Amino acid sequence: MSTVDEIETLIGKVSLGDRQAFSRLYDLTHAKLFGVSLRILNNRASAEDVLQETYMKIWRYADRYASKGTSPMTWLITIARNTAIDKLRTRRDSEDIEGMAETLASSGPTPEQVAVASGEAGRIAHCLEQLEEPRDKAVRGAYLEGLSYAELSEKLSVPLNTIRTWLRRSLISLRECMEQ
Amino acid sequence: MTDADLPDRDDDSLLAAEYVLRLLEREEERAFEARLERDSALMREVNAWSERLSGMDAEFAAETPRAAIKAHLMERLFGAPERTTSIWQKLSLWQGLSFASLLVAGFFAWQVTQLAPVDTPASGPLYVSEIAAEDQSLRVLAVYDSDSDALQINRTAGQAAAGRTLELWVITDGNAPVSLGVLPDAQTTEITLPEEFRAQVADLTLAISDEPPGGSPTGQPTGAVLAVGTVTEL
Repeated sequence: MSTVDEIETLIGKVSLGDRQAFSRLYDLTHAKLFGVSLRILNNRASAEDVLQETYMKIWRYADRYASKGTSPMTWLITIARNTAIDKLRTRRDSEDIEGMAETLASSGPTPEQVAVASGEAGRIAHCLEQLEEPRDKAVRGAYLEGLSYAELSEKLSVPLNTIRTWLRRSLISLRECMEQ
Repeated sequence: MTDADLPDRDDDSLLAAEYVLRLLEREEERAFEARLERDSALMREVNAWSERLSGMDAEFAAETPRAAIKAHLMERLFGAPERTTSIWQKLSLWQGLSFASLLVAGFFAWQVTQLAPVDTPASGPLYVSEIAAEDQSLRVLAVYDSDSDALQINRTAGQAAAGRTLELWVITDGNAPVSLGVLPDAQTTEITLPEEFRAQVADLTLAISDEPPGGSPTGQPTGAVLAVGTVTEL
């Protein structure tokens, strides 16, 4: 059984309340999901809190997976990413935006390494490269760091009233490139 | 298809992308989610964008959180693990000896027989028990020589907590534990096995509990059961 198949099977068992399957699912996937929350929050303690919240959601909502129509890792990462972004936004609501971490150049594999790593990843990396610099940074910053339009505007020194148009154009180019 | 259709469809697709990226304002996000509930075409757009953008997931490098996080999570979801384990629950965790510990126990038994006085050669069967804590923090080997009716005790790991004593118990199936006495501070000791247990040595279970100085005041274990072992004939 491939890892993807096993994860899918485990999510199915978790939806039936199987604690052992849940424990195994945690063992198989927590490092990746922790990587997601750590990248977005840039703080180990917060990321560990978010990791727990993420798995509590997975336990509670596993039965919704089948109807979602996405691959199991994408589903799990989406939950981790959204939980981390929720935490980030709550934190920033009560914080001076000046204190925001410089996260755009954060660690992790480079796009080139990623391109080699897998087909789907290679395709988006290639298509992001086709975007005019620094538009790829906008898509990347939103997805990988959970940045809002206001934060992207500040980071990339693009006026807030044009950043949305700008990013939407990038998304259209990206979709076209990926459909080729 | 009218001219108006295309921008609409495109607009929904872009809204879906912004929703997946979490770029919508809180109000827009709520409105979009309300539409998602009843619009399966919109849901498909969301899934398509999730898959497209998931190509970037490889850029999230796997990281290891503290190991305690899993235990916290399990406790939050399923409650605290049982802390007051009864002797019988413990026993089910300790069915028999592991191969490795049996080898160690066997070696100890061999030493015992070697040390036995030459004029009383061990001819009857020998029995061994490794009385061990689940985490190996306390480990006591007991060897029973049917010729002398004595249990040779050798504490190979762990000791009593400060101001406490270790008490050895013998248990037969379905009956209350019977005290064999408090273990001394010395690593080794010898305890005579009461006559009533001698005929069924192989079926005995030995256990060690944490007790106040002088041993249990009630005649039954009052503190935590620290270690349990079954008996094997060599």
